[in-house]
Amino acid sequence: MSKKLPLTLGTEPVKKLLRAYAMPSIIAMTASSLYNMVDSIFIGHGVGELALSGLAVTFPLMNLAAAFGSLVGVGASTLISVKLGQKDYKTAQQVLGNVFVLNLIIGVCFTTLSLAFLEPILRFFGASENTLPYAKDYMTIILLGNVITHIYLGLNAVLRSSGHPRLSMYATITTVLLNAILDPIFIFVFDWGIKGAAIATILAQIIALAWQCKLFANPNELLHFHKGIFRLKKRIVMDSFSIGMAPFLMNLASCFIVILINNGLGRYGGDLAIGAYGIVNRVVFLFIMVVMGLNQGMQPIAGYNYGAQQMQRVMEVLKVTILYATMVMTLGFVVGEFMPEWVARVFTSEKELIRLAADGMRVIMFVFPVIGFQMVVSNFFQSIGMARQSIFLSLTRQVLFLIPLLIILPRYWGMTGVWISMPISDFIASVVAAGMLLHKMKNNKLHQPTM
Amino acid sequence: MILNIGRQLGSGGREIAQRVARNLNMKFLDKELILLAAKESGIATEMFERADECTQKTGGFWGFHLPWMSSLPCSEGLTNDTLFQIQSEVIKKEAELHDCIFVGRCADYILRERKDCLNVFVSAHEDDRIIRLQSALNIPEEEARQLIERTDKQRAAYYNFYTNKTWGEAASYDLCINSSVLGIENACHLIEKCIECLK
Repeated sequence: MSKKLPLTLGTEPVKKLLRAYAMPSIIAMTASSLYNMVDSIFIGHGVGELALSGLAVTFPLMNLAAAFGSLVGVGASTLISVKLGQKDYKTAQQVLGNVFVLNLIIGVCFTTLSLAFLEPILRFFGASENTLPYAKDYMTIILLGNVITHIYLGLNAVLRSSGHPRLSMYATITTVLLNAILDPIFIFVFDWGIKGAAIATILAQIIALAWQCKLFANPNELLHFHKGIFRLKKRIVMDSFSIGMAPFLMNLASCFIVILINNGLGRYGGDLAIGAYGIVNRVVFLFIMVVMGLNQGMQPIAGYNYGAQQMQRVMEVLKVTILYATMVMTLGFVVGEFMPEWVARVFTSEKELIRLAADGMRVIMFVFPVIGFQMVVSNFFQSIGMARQSIFLSLTRQVLFLIPLLIILPRYWGMTGVWISMPISDFIASVVAAGMLLHKMKNNKLHQPTM
Repeated sequence: MILNIGRQLGSGGREIAQRVARNLNMKFLDKELILLAAKESGIATEMFERADECTQKTGGFWGFHLPWMSSLPCSEGLTNDTLFQIQSEVIKKEAELHDCIFVGRCADYILRERKDCLNVFVSAHEDDRIIRLQSALNIPEEEARQLIERTDKQRAAYYNFYTNKTWGEAASYDLCINSSVLGIENACHLIEKCIECLK
């Protein structure tokens, strides 16, 4: 609950610590990416290949919604855990109430605006005449439920930082399972098409939210809803926003990138190419998310030992995390290079789409073995308190190199240009990360005599 | 008995705290807190020095949400928040053990549950602060002025973020003293009197 770092971080074996710290977040991350996969699988087989493209067209809008979610959620959960560390329950409750109201306001505004301009927005995001109906059907329901999504995610973040990480994990897993059960019922039994997938998503969140509300309504809980906490406090709002700004911008950037990808693929490869990206994206994220979970586990260990100037242990945890991350990503590499058709077939039975998705996977996942390293290093800088370096490294992989490549390469190589931009950017970013890490090691006595 | 002294840079707050500590035989804790916190946690003093009375409002990129998925837990690495938490444990522990005088570091907020606290804020006219700083650090006037401006901003951000009160505002404290008006000597007497009244 408190942000106190336990002293065992400096003594226990690094591998054991990493396992203990990383496992819960790896589970949560995997659950979340499975959630997305399940949706795509049922839509691909139950509704059709164009529906998959329609779904992929909505990705940027999802990123945008997530950006606003993180603007409130990340800051608020940081604030709450700081206040709880001080046993200042009064202020923590106020943050909780403010989170609720802010999510409500932002959610309603976002829904109203995007519903009003849904068609032009989706067209801008890469929808064609054929895919627009699917994208519109899906997004209308998702947007109507957007307020629920925002509040559910916000409260889940609060739940985690208020000393119930386990409960927040259960909420995540519950929505994943509910979604997986409801999807086939709505799509195959009720024949609701792509709408069915959206309804399943929102319904699962409504149920989880109801459960969360019940939890927070209990006056015996340290944090609970009661009168007076819902009035917005200027300072709480400003502090949340200033903490949430970086993740907000990052999500905004990824929204922009998906727009570039979708439009490039749409122009040079047609609707099916966008659908192929939809599939590739799901597969890629499954592996990326595991590494992110691993990174979460590394943070307290690297952070504490760096603070204690136990550089040998810092290097050890860095090395072990890089090793594990590389193993995970290499597995992804093997899957992407040697059995992409097999993976694509999980999502669709359309031959052309399978071919396109398999081609995409082969290109994108080609440099996977070095991405693990890049991600771990940029996270490492964050965990030792060098936020600026970490932000820069995250930007290199996902923004700085990728955006110019996505703008230039497709002009010459068409669809291949879009696909190939991603591994090139990933590779350059890894080289930059290696350079920065070496520099840091030289300057900061991170060096070990044996190395 | 606990005395918490918030102060503007160059107002003489630290000197007042030291004198009162000597006169009343209380334990004086300013930068000493850092050494204690470092010893307690095993984390190096430099780390605490770097984070001393600073906030760092970044949730970090890894705290970002992905679509339809719970927000990831925020950074739990070596953040200023973590160091603040460690330091506040130390403040609480010291306050249990001795009659203490804490200078800055949100000690008034950290010890808000204790009834035997006197919270004081020491300010001074800007010209006096600059002169005091110049003679203490041996720096030119302009540099002193900038340092004052920067430090005030930093301390205010730090205090406001962690305590939800406003730094330097009368309502946040029990007693506010302008050392330019009273002088260091009188300020000490005033505080000592107050402590006597409270005992």
